[in-house]
Amino acid sequence: MYRYIVKFSKFGYIKYISHLDLMRLFKRSFKRMGIKLEYSQGFNPHPKMGLAQPLSLGYESSGEILEFETVDKINEENIIETFNLAMPEGIKIIEFKEIKAEGKSLAAITEFAEYRIKLPYRGSLPQDIKALDFMNQAEIISQKLNKKKELIDLNIKSMIKELTVNNNGEEVIIFAKLDAGSLSNLSPELLIKAIGNYYKIEYDRSEVEITRESITFTKNLQF
Amino acid sequence: MNIDSNLNKLLKIVEKPARYIGGEFNSVKKNLEKVKTRFGFAFPDTYEIGMSFLGLQILYGILNREDDIFCERIFAPALDMEAEMRAIELPLFTLESKTPIKDLDIVGFTLQYEMSYTNILNMLDLGGIPLTRQERGEDYPVIVAGGPCAFNPEPLADIFDIFVIGDGEELIVTLCKKHAEWKASGKNKEELYKELCHLEGIYIPGFYEPEYNSDGTIRELKKLYKEAPDSIKKAIISNVDEAFFPENAIVPFIEVIHDRSVVETFRGCTRGCRFCQAGMIYRPVRERSKETIETLAKKMLENSGHEEISLLSLSTSDYSQFEELATTLMKMCKEHNVSLSLPSLRLDSFSFKVLQEIQGYKKSGLTFAPEAGSQRLRNVVNKNITEENIYSSIEQALELGWSNLKLYFMVGLPTETMADLDGIAEIAKNVIDLNYKIKGRQGGRFNVTISVSSFVPKAHTPFQWHGQDTANEFRKKHMHLKDKLKSVRGVSFTYHRTDTTILEAVFARGDRRVTKPLIEAFKLGCSFDGWSENFNNGLWLKAFETTGIDANFYSSRERTYDEILPWDHIDSGVTKEFLIKENEKAKAETLTDDCRLGCVDCGVNSRVKCEMEGSHV
Repeated sequence: MYRYIVKFSKFGYIKYISHLDLMRLFKRSFKRMGIKLEYSQGFNPHPKMGLAQPLSLGYESSGEILEFETVDKINEENIIETFNLAMPEGIKIIEFKEIKAEGKSLAAITEFAEYRIKLPYRGSLPQDIKALDFMNQAEIISQKLNKKKELIDLNIKSMIKELTVNNNGEEVIIFAKLDAGSLSNLSPELLIKAIGNYYKIEYDRSEVEITRESITFTKNLQF
Repeated sequence: MNIDSNLNKLLKIVEKPARYIGGEFNSVKKNLEKVKTRFGFAFPDTYEIGMSFLGLQILYGILNREDDIFCERIFAPALDMEAEMRAIELPLFTLESKTPIKDLDIVGFTLQYEMSYTNILNMLDLGGIPLTRQERGEDYPVIVAGGPCAFNPEPLADIFDIFVIGDGEELIVTLCKKHAEWKASGKNKEELYKELCHLEGIYIPGFYEPEYNSDGTIRELKKLYKEAPDSIKKAIISNVDEAFFPENAIVPFIEVIHDRSVVETFRGCTRGCRFCQAGMIYRPVRERSKETIETLAKKMLENSGHEEISLLSLSTSDYSQFEELATTLMKMCKEHNVSLSLPSLRLDSFSFKVLQEIQGYKKSGLTFAPEAGSQRLRNVVNKNITEENIYSSIEQALELGWSNLKLYFMVGLPTETMADLDGIAEIAKNVIDLNYKIKGRQGGRFNVTISVSSFVPKAHTPFQWHGQDTANEFRKKHMHLKDKLKSVRGVSFTYHRTDTTILEAVFARGDRRVTKPLIEAFKLGCSFDGWSENFNNGLWLKAFETTGIDANFYSSRERTYDEILPWDHIDSGVTKEFLIKENEKAKAETLTDDCRLGCVDCGVNSRVKCEMEGSHV
């Protein structure tokens, strides 16, 4: 059994395919490349393959991480080119490497994700809005749907690790490093809502563009 | 209007946005400056249905193989997307280059089903293209149609400029090339049509005009261009084995109805069921060789990464080397960890062996199609299977552990009486008894579905003269069956809604006068009529009423042999004499043999050699 990771970007119209569609796409690409994935045991075997963190539909990314396990060792010569030939437009493999076969899954050690958010607004907004004011609030309240589909208030302050906010006259540009993974996770959607409310920004969600720039892990794995 | 930036906004709002993005693996991009002909393949339903259609993959592949031609895809947007597009006036666009369809050279629709006709109108309208050829004049793309429903083109004769009748894959390339030459010449559209009308398989509706008798029947189809042919012969690919097949089929991102690789094994069918239009218009049987099929299957799997492969034809088991082919494919699929799906198998002992192996412990349902409930009526429709055939297959299925059976019948067949319907209930009861006999009273879960569809007489079949049952007659029959089946425990009964059945019959055998209610229905808001949740019969009734067209004239009226039928000028290769002979044999309840046992004189061999003729003598 061999274990690998690839780092890839997802730009353009392909951002509109869902996490499950992306998994099927990789499964078929591996088949086209002749790479045999390891499968889980049991009645309904699944290929051993997974993203560090699913990416929401509609988001672009410059640094997604996929891990997978194969039956045979992969010949690494020209492997990135080979990968890219098996990929549709919009997905580009940037890095490939073998990692230790044992150890936790990447999903289990995902700690933070960084996002760049472009938020076009209507009306006027002060030129010098600063993230500092926003972060200095005692509590940062946003709303999310709970399991019963009710909107509940949530203090998201502790889940925002870094934040910069700039206004270029047409768009508010947000850079944010947020908790990600199974222990603590903050969706950028909640941050956008809180920022929108705080600065009284008039915007349309369907015009907001979100790009995930990187994912970082607890064990200092760097990609 | 910038399609990209507007589309980007809509895609964040609508369901399943990946339906509209293109860019799938094996989809094609070309430099727009360098191509001479821009063709849009339009499928009048959603992406998930259109992408499951092999004909799309064939035409897409064969056209894009040409450097000068760029074929792109167009689908009907779902209702939520359509509303968003209309709200901001975003025109219907191609998936590949997001070009408004109005800016293409040719837009070609496939006609698979009569109830998709309003979607065609809706797509033209969304594209900003006037609905009728008269309104379009010299502007706008050339609008073309093909597919099985083009064998009665008349209900859409005012919508389309050109119909492609028969096997379209070679003809469509010629059409594009002729179009490019014409475009360079700067002549008007009529000149293009004058040249094209001499090609086998091309029908230019604008060159013909029907005149009617006072009783509403056709008196004459007048020619408006005297060089146009009197009768339009369907195009035939004589060598299917050497015909193009898409080895690099597009692999959709989202799950589509049939998310798998497909190889066509043969075209046509030799059985001669008298209700079946496909069995008549796709004659003769032309097979791909076993070697070609195996090579294609292997390549398609390698190029797609699909988890499943399937064979396509009108009757899988009729392939002349079916046992050898199935055996090789099963082995290949096992090696590649791919599942094999074999639709429409005739359930004989070999098929059970194959199904047992490919389905193993994950048994899906099994469908049997006796079509009619009595031997008499099966003889009428020339469905050559006996009650013993049915019970012995079902017995085998039960013994091998299938517990989900579906029995498929038609209601409203010519000469049908209530006694024939009682036969359906009788069969259902006998199947339940068989299960008890084999598995005992505590036999565990067992489910029989009796599925009944309503018979729609189709053009170019021996039943093309038959008056369809009225809505009331259908309802009575459904209720009768429901009542009879109520007492049989363990049977579920499903039937097709009657109102769409009547409309299907109107458009399957309509003439140019039914275009009016069609356009009216579209204007009243009808679309996706094939989706029961979206079908609105009230609007259709209103459309017929306001346009003064009597639907019964087209659906329930029995025609005489000497009446000029709206599709008489379309030559499927099967002669009218043969159809009359078959209809008479139906009335006499006599069978016609499968033509593998000897030629039955349908007439198609005057066009092309029948490979299978007498092959089983």
